[in-house]
Amino acid sequence: MSAPTIARATTAAGVRRARGLRRGDRNRFLKWLGVVLISLSVLFPLAWMAIAGFKGKTEVLRSPFQFFPDMWDPKNYIEIAQDPQFARAMIVTFIGAIIFTALSLAINSMAAYALARLDFAFKRFWWVFCIMPMFIPSMAILLTSFVVVAQLGMLDTMAVLIIPGVASSVQMFFLRQFYLNMPIAVEEAALIDGCSRWQIFLKIFLPQSAAVFVVVGIGSYMAFWNAYVWPILTITNPDLTQIMQFLGNFRSDRGPQWGLLMAGSTLAALPTIVLVLFFQRYIVNGVRISGIK
Amino acid sequence: MHKRRSKVLLTLAAVVTASLALAGCTAGGGGTTADGKTEVTFWQQKFEDYQGVWFKKYVDQFNASQDKIKVNYQVVPADTWTQKLQAAQAAGKQPDIATTNYGNIAAGVVDGKFAALDDYMPADVFADIKDNVSSFVTIGGKHYAYPMLVEPSTVLYYNTDMVKAAGLDPNTPPTTWDQLIDWSKKLTTGDVKGMTIASTAPDLGWSSWGLQYNACGHLPISDDWSKANATDPCYEKLLNLYKTLYQGNLIPQQPKVGYADGSPYGSGEVAMMAGGSWVIGQLKTDFPDMLAKTMVTAFPSWDGDATRTTATLGGWTLTLDSKSKHPQQAADFIKYLLAGDPAIMADFFKAAGYSKYTVRKSVDEALASDPNASADPFMKIISDKVVAYGKQEPGYPWDIALAMGTAIESAMKGTDSIQGSLKTADAAINDVIQKQSLAGTAPKK
Amino acid sequence: MTAVLPSDSLAGQAGELAHVASRRDGRRSGTPRVAKHLRDNRTAYLMIAPMVILLSIFVIWPLIYSLYLSGFKISFYKDPEFVGFQFYQYVLESPKFWQSLGVGLAFAAMVVPAGMLIALLIASFIKTLSKRLASFMKTTVYVPAVVSTVVASVLFVFMYQDQGVVNWFLSLINAGPVAWLNNPGTALPAIAVPAIWLGLGITTLIMLAGLLDIPDSYYESAELDGAGFVKRTWYITIPLLKNILLYLFVTGFTAALQMLDLPLVMTNGGPVNATTTPNLFIFNSFRDGTPYSTSFSLTAALLLFVVLGAISVLVFRLINSDKAVDG
Repeated sequence: MSAPTIARATTAAGVRRARGLRRGDRNRFLKWLGVVLISLSVLFPLAWMAIAGFKGKTEVLRSPFQFFPDMWDPKNYIEIAQDPQFARAMIVTFIGAIIFTALSLAINSMAAYALARLDFAFKRFWWVFCIMPMFIPSMAILLTSFVVVAQLGMLDTMAVLIIPGVASSVQMFFLRQFYLNMPIAVEEAALIDGCSRWQIFLKIFLPQSAAVFVVVGIGSYMAFWNAYVWPILTITNPDLTQIMQFLGNFRSDRGPQWGLLMAGSTLAALPTIVLVLFFQRYIVNGVRISGIK
Repeated sequence: MHKRRSKVLLTLAAVVTASLALAGCTAGGGGTTADGKTEVTFWQQKFEDYQGVWFKKYVDQFNASQDKIKVNYQVVPADTWTQKLQAAQAAGKQPDIATTNYGNIAAGVVDGKFAALDDYMPADVFADIKDNVSSFVTIGGKHYAYPMLVEPSTVLYYNTDMVKAAGLDPNTPPTTWDQLIDWSKKLTTGDVKGMTIASTAPDLGWSSWGLQYNACGHLPISDDWSKANATDPCYEKLLNLYKTLYQGNLIPQQPKVGYADGSPYGSGEVAMMAGGSWVIGQLKTDFPDMLAKTMVTAFPSWDGDATRTTATLGGWTLTLDSKSKHPQQAADFIKYLLAGDPAIMADFFKAAGYSKYTVRKSVDEALASDPNASADPFMKIISDKVVAYGKQEPGYPWDIALAMGTAIESAMKGTDSIQGSLKTADAAINDVIQKQSLAGTAPKK
Repeated sequence: MTAVLPSDSLAGQAGELAHVASRRDGRRSGTPRVAKHLRDNRTAYLMIAPMVILLSIFVIWPLIYSLYLSGFKISFYKDPEFVGFQFYQYVLESPKFWQSLGVGLAFAAMVVPAGMLIALLIASFIKTLSKRLASFMKTTVYVPAVVSTVVASVLFVFMYQDQGVVNWFLSLINAGPVAWLNNPGTALPAIAVPAIWLGLGITTLIMLAGLLDIPDSYYESAELDGAGFVKRTWYITIPLLKNILLYLFVTGFTAALQMLDLPLVMTNGGPVNATTTPNLFIFNSFRDGTPYSTSFSLTAALLLFVVLGAISVLVFRLINSDKAVDG
C-alpha cells in the first residue's frame, strides 16, 4: 500500500466517521429544508398580496410579473386603516365570527356526540336529516332561505348573519367522525360509575376535543369571515357591513382598485393569522384517550 | 387566568347582545321616516367608482332640496346584483327604483316588473329624449324606463407611438378587417401584441353584437324571433376574424382581465384594443400618460363601409318597480335626476371623462357650452362615427347571446370548425326559441 | 358481548373496531341493552334538537319551498304558471348541464385525492418536527386559507401568464410557453392547483389532529419490525384515519363539485366551457333574471343536489362495508 492510498483510505474513513456523527445533523438539515420549502411555496402568495398592497392601482396587473413595487408607497394601507368603515367592518365581523363559532361548536358537537355514540330511535333518519344539508348547493335555496329570514323579520340584524348558518352539517360530520374514534371502553366504564350521558359528553368528550374544536372552530370562523353573498343579500345597514362586503367595493369589471383590494385583504387576514398562531398549540395529542392507558 | 377569561367572555356577550338589540331596532321601516317623509329605495348596480360618487351627490342634493321624500341609496356589487334583486323580489323587499340595462327592459315588461313612467311624469320629459334612444325604452307606446346614457360596446383604440414605430400612419387607421389583421401583424413585436379583443364566451356574447350586425346586418335570429339564423354564411367571416387574431398570436393568448377592463392597453401590453367607449374614462383616471398617444376610431367594417353598424349601444336606465308603494315619489326622483336640470346630467358626463353619450337633446346643448367637452379629442369621433350607426342591444335571452359567444370562442380556440361552431349555435338558439316560447315575442315598439 | 379491554396494541385497536361492528349487529338483532336504549332516547333527542330545529327552519323548509317552486315558471310579479316537471326535463335535456357535471367530476377527481395526499405528507412531516418548528408550520400551512379566493385567483392568473413564473420554469428546459388557461387540455388542471393550495391548510390540520390521535406505540412497534414510512402509512395511518379520510373525501368532493369562484375569475368557464363547473353553469343561466332563467337555474341546482347526494350515498356505502363507521 503506497502512502497516498493510505492517506486516501484514512480520509475516507474519517469522512465516514464524521458522517456517522452527523447523521442527526443531516436529519435536522433535511427537516429544515422541508420547513423552508413548504413555507416558501405556501407563504409566497401571501407575501405577494401584502407587497401588492404597496403598489399603485394599475401596477399590480403589470406584465411581466414583478414582485416588488417600483416605489414602496404605503398610501393604500394608510387609506384603508384610516377608513372608519373598515375598522367598523372588522370589529362587527369579528364579533359575529366569534359568536358564530361558539354557538356552532356547541350545537354541532352535541348533535355529533349523539349521532356518534348514542343509540336512539330513528337514528338513521336523523343522521341523514343532519348530513343532507351538506349536499344542497347554495343556489338551490338562496331565494327561499332569503324569503324565510325576511318573513322572520331578521333582515339587517346580526342574527341573520349568525343564526341561519350555525347548524352545520360539515362541522357536525367532522366532530362525529372524531367521536367515532374514541374507544367505547371509556364510556362503558363511566356508565358503570353511574355517569349520565350528559356527564360523559361534558366531562370526558369535551375535554378531549380541544384539538378538533380548534380545527373545526377555525373553519367556522373563516366561513363567517369570508361570507360575501349572504351579507350582501341581507344587510343594507352600513353599521353592520361585513368585511368581505367592504372589500367587495374595490372590485369592478372596469378596472378594479387592485392596490386597495390587496392592502385591504392583507389587513383583513391579520386577525385570522393571529388567532391561528394562538390556537395552533391545542392541535396536539388530539382526542387520544390518555386516561385509560 | 380562568376568571379573566370568563370576564372577557362576559363583556363580549354583553357587547354582542347590545349590538343585536340595536341592530334589531333599525330593521324594518314602513316607508316613512320619523319626521313624516316618504321613503323610497334606490339600488344602483356598481360600475365605475365615479358613478357612485355622482349618484351619492345628487341623491343627497335631492333629499335636501325638499322635505317630502327621502331616497335611500344603495350600491350593489355587479356580481351579486341579479341574486340580490331576485331574492328581494321573492320576499317583496325590492327597491322602488333600480338601474336597468337597455337589454333587460323588454323581458321585464313582459313579466310585469316595471311601471310605465308616462303615468307619473309629464309628456315633455320624454320629448327631450333623442329619437333613437327613445325607442330603446318604449314598448307598446309607453316608456318603461328613463334612459341615462348610451355607451358603444366596441371602438378601436390604438397607440400612436407604436403605430409610428411600425411604419404605419396613425391618421389612416384600418377600415377593413383585412387591414386590421395586417396592422395587428405589423404591430405584434416581442412581448407586445398587436391587438386585444374579447376571447371568452361570456364576454364575446355581448361584445360581438355590433360586429354580428356588421357582418350580416342582423343578429343570429329572425326578426320575429321564430327561427335561428346563425348558419348564415356571412357569420363565417366574423368567426374567421376572431380565429385569425387568436391563432395568429396577434392577441394575448391568456388575457388577465375581461373585455370591459382596458388596463392591458393602458399599460402598453398591446398596440390596439377593441373596447367600449368607457375605457376612455379608465384611461383618463388610471393611465393619464397614455392619453396623448391614444387615438380612437370606429372598429373597422368587414368591407370598409363606414356606415355599417360596428357597435351596440349599451347603458343604464332607471326603472320604477311595478309594486312600488310610492310610485309617484319614486318617479319624482327619477325625473329630478335624469330628466330635470340638464346641468345634473352634464355633470355626470364630465365625471365620466366624456366616455359616455347623452340621451337628451337639452344635455347635448348644455355640454356644447362646456369647453372641456368640445375640446375632448375622442368624443366627437365616437359620437359621429360610432354612436350614429350604433344599434340597440338585443332584448333576447342571454342564452342566445352566449350560444353565439361560444361559437366564436370554439372557432378561435379550434375546438370546432367555423361551420361546425355556427351549426352548434344555430341548434342551441332554436332550442332556446322553442323552450322559452320566443316565436313572435320580439318586442314591438 | 363483553367490553374489550383497551391496550396499546394494534390488536386492541382492531378489537375495538370489531366491537363497534358487533355493537351494530347487536343493535340490529335487538338483543342487548334495552334499558339503556330507553334512557338514551331522551338525551339523544335533546342533544340533536337544536341542530334539527335550526336546519329545519333555515335549510329543510327552504328546500321544500324550492322544490315546490320548481314546479312553476317562477314569477314574482305575475301569477306563476304551473308547469310540473317541465324544467327538470329541460335541465336534463341540456347538453351543457351534463357537460358541466363532467367538468365538475373531473375537477373533483384532480383536487380531492391530490389535496389529501399532499396534506397527509405535510401532516406526517409536521408530526416529526420539534415543538417550536411544528408550531410555526401549523400556522404557516394555514396561511393560504386566509387569502381570499379572488386574490388567489388573480395571483394564479399571473403565474400562468405567457411571461409568468410557470412558463419561465418551462423556458429553462427550452419548452413552452404554454397558454395554460386557454388550452382545453390544461385549463382545468391549472385551476385545480389553486383549489388544492387553498384547501391545503385546513386539510393538513385535520390530518394532523387525526395523526396525533394515533398512539406512538403503534408506530414504534412497527418501526422495530423494520417497516418504512410508506408501509407504516399504509398499514397503520390510513386504516386508523379511515373516519377522518371519509370526512375529508366527502366534504372535499362536495366542495370541489360546487366550485364557482376560481373558474369564474380565472377563465370565465373557458376555453369553450372546458372549465364551466356546475355552479358556473347555474350562475350563467341565472343571469337574465326572467321567470324562465330563475326556474331553470333553480331546477339545475336541485338536480345538482340529487347528484351530490347520490354520489355521497355511494361513498358512504362503500366505506361502511368496511365496518369502520358506525352509522
